[in-house]
Amino acid sequence: MASKPVAGYGGVIILLVMKPRVDFEVNVEAEITPELAAKPFEEIKQFKVYYGNRLVPLEELFEIEKKGDDEILILEGDFSRVKWIGKSMEKGEVVIKGDIGAHCGAFMKGGKITVEGNADDWLGAEMEGGEIAVRGNTGNLVACPYWGNLKGMKGGRITVYGNAGNYIGEKMCGGEIEIRGDAGDFVGTEMKDGKITIHGNCGYVGGDMKGGEIFIGGSFEVVPAFIKTDDGFIGDVNVKGKGKVKALK
Amino acid sequence: MALQIKNGIVVDPKNGISGEKMDIFIKDGKIVEEVKKNCRVIDATGKLVVAGGIDLHAHIAGCKINTGRAMRPEEMRFVRRKSNGLRAAVGRTLLTSPAIGYEYAKMGYTTAVDPATPSLYVIHTHEELDSIPIIDKATLPLFGNWHQVMRYSADKDIEKLKSFVAWVLERTKGYGVKLVNPGGVEAWMYGGNVHTLDDAVPGFGVTPREIITSLIAAVEELNLPHSAHIHCNNLGMPGNYETTMETIKLAKGFENRDRQVLHVTHVQFNAYTGSSWRDIGSGAEEIAKLVNRIESVTIDMGQPIFGHATTMTADCPWQFELHKLAKAKWCNRDIELETGGGIVPYVYRAKNAVNSVQWATGLELGLLVDADKIAISTDYPNGGPFNSYPYIATLLMSKKFRDEEMKKAHPYIEKATSLPSIDAERTIEDIVKMTRVTPARVLGMKNKGHLGTGADGDVAVYDINPMDYNSSNFQAILKALKNPLYTIKSGEIVVKDGDVVSEVWGRTYWVDVRDKTTTELIERDLEEYFNYYTVNRENYGVEERWLQNPLRVMAG
Repeated sequence: MASKPVAGYGGVIILLVMKPRVDFEVNVEAEITPELAAKPFEEIKQFKVYYGNRLVPLEELFEIEKKGDDEILILEGDFSRVKWIGKSMEKGEVVIKGDIGAHCGAFMKGGKITVEGNADDWLGAEMEGGEIAVRGNTGNLVACPYWGNLKGMKGGRITVYGNAGNYIGEKMCGGEIEIRGDAGDFVGTEMKDGKITIHGNCGYVGGDMKGGEIFIGGSFEVVPAFIKTDDGFIGDVNVKGKGKVKALK
Repeated sequence: MALQIKNGIVVDPKNGISGEKMDIFIKDGKIVEEVKKNCRVIDATGKLVVAGGIDLHAHIAGCKINTGRAMRPEEMRFVRRKSNGLRAAVGRTLLTSPAIGYEYAKMGYTTAVDPATPSLYVIHTHEELDSIPIIDKATLPLFGNWHQVMRYSADKDIEKLKSFVAWVLERTKGYGVKLVNPGGVEAWMYGGNVHTLDDAVPGFGVTPREIITSLIAAVEELNLPHSAHIHCNNLGMPGNYETTMETIKLAKGFENRDRQVLHVTHVQFNAYTGSSWRDIGSGAEEIAKLVNRIESVTIDMGQPIFGHATTMTADCPWQFELHKLAKAKWCNRDIELETGGGIVPYVYRAKNAVNSVQWATGLELGLLVDADKIAISTDYPNGGPFNSYPYIATLLMSKKFRDEEMKKAHPYIEKATSLPSIDAERTIEDIVKMTRVTPARVLGMKNKGHLGTGADGDVAVYDINPMDYNSSNFQAILKALKNPLYTIKSGEIVVKDGDVVSEVWGRTYWVDVRDKTTTELIERDLEEYFNYYTVNRENYGVEERWLQNPLRVMAG
């Protein structure tokens, strides 16, 4: 699927391609955004990332190839132990032709991330704008706030073509999440605004929900503090919430 | 090795020195007359040399701040220091223990007192105090809502109360007597509160007035180095300045030649007029007049700082109110028969009228009360982080800075407070009094807060000339106070040019008054008490040998 991810560039490939050199033994914390691709090649090679507790240059871990100066980042291979890709990115595009590790697209403000494999936990955490598409499955805590923070996803759009784990869109304040497969428990907990669509089944939905909408295609359960209406449920009455949970038509 | 601080301009109000060029010598951790040889010399020509600062009220250790840390993981994303040979320090308003020691040293402070610890969990408090580097510290156990205290107060049995206070101080290795909303926290166990000094506490038939006066009497008869330290009833409520004034007047019945008999803490939170949040105003002027008139009372500011804070106090009913007001996450706790506690995160907003009144009220107190009766504090972390003391000092020293900052605040303060009309500017000597001399006298720490022979070798050197500075150039004052050239703790240089360079370990002060009374008086009561407690009497409190560096103070 999507063998030509970078469409619309007139056949000329202008991008930065990275491939892992080794099987990573520990996690790599690489706060890389598409802006990196526009920098001089030497600077890119020397860009420092954490490999476990060591700070190492990028070229030690990845084979890097640069074609042109556009802000496009192509990650080929297994990146499932590489975290924080696209953190706080504002523009440009990241294409991951494989799996990606945790915190991908956290604090994202704009641009686009496409994951052709699976994504790990904390996908698009505290995201403010932009677009994330995942062809495979995602882990838990999609678009959640980090522990202690009061606002989750504020804007933008996340589409997951596979299944998702637990805690989707906790404390969500805006934006849109679409899960084409199934989801786990606790969807839209403490949600304030925005929209979550789940085409498959999921577990408990909307605890302490204050606003926003959740649409579900398959089976689901609501906590007892929801009031049944003609076309779904309204709640959570515990927090005087006006959130809507409806069946997807 | 001995240390000579050469040619500095010394401000030492306690010894009558206000800006004299002189040398200070430190040997074996103490200030001495002179050292002839083997002396490391620091050149402080034209710089301000003062004693190390003292914070008499900051919640730096204990189960409250630790629960706050657990409750607010978002606080720990603020990195203050990467280890670089010492320890890593993180925290925005709730600092980790190493961060607390480093941040105090980084603004020239060398002593801090934790003002409220539940005795049941004092072992934890001491573990945490022992993890704070550099500074000297002490802790005050909470008494105001303890069942034993209320029973003895109801019986007017001061002898038994004295015996109990002495027993608790020894068991907890505490330094003094703290009262928080006396009677109110007990009433909260039944969902209520006390609103005046004469409301009866449910189940005891005793009033807050009786609890306060009994404890003052016990403290004075035991002659503890530090007086009763009170957080008044009705904290945070509009119109509470009347309760505060009445509480202050309770000190009139007592006398002590060396120090105050009542320290009223974070008075800003207790100095509001008005009947609701809509007409809240500042009662600071009235309180300042009263405090200046009564010899035997001291206060500290409790200045809020615009920005993030975490309120934490044993005053459960108020914390419940605040939780409802702020709609924030919270935690409330009943600590068996002794006290309670609550934590609510809070943000002081300049655009908010009430927050602005609070900010202005604190500054009014700081400007209107005599410098030897008030200490600078933020009631850390209730009003904000303690490392904003240089900011507070600069506000007090510079009218121009106050005007700049007042522009950011809500215009309602012009109506509700007198801050805009106060033109006074504190001198450096006043600030030295408010951060060194007064806290040392309030705490009864005779070797602190001055640079006379025999005092502790705690010195701070700032890049400002006290004889020649311009109060309208507030940026320079703020920069100088924020980044001391040197902080010296017990003769060791711990901070150089505003950064921590080495770590020493301070002492934990505690007071032993067992020889003033006998535990036999309350033996039977304690036996009964521990029959029904979760902890055995043998396991209650801490032993002196468990502390890293204890310093026993004999009272009297």
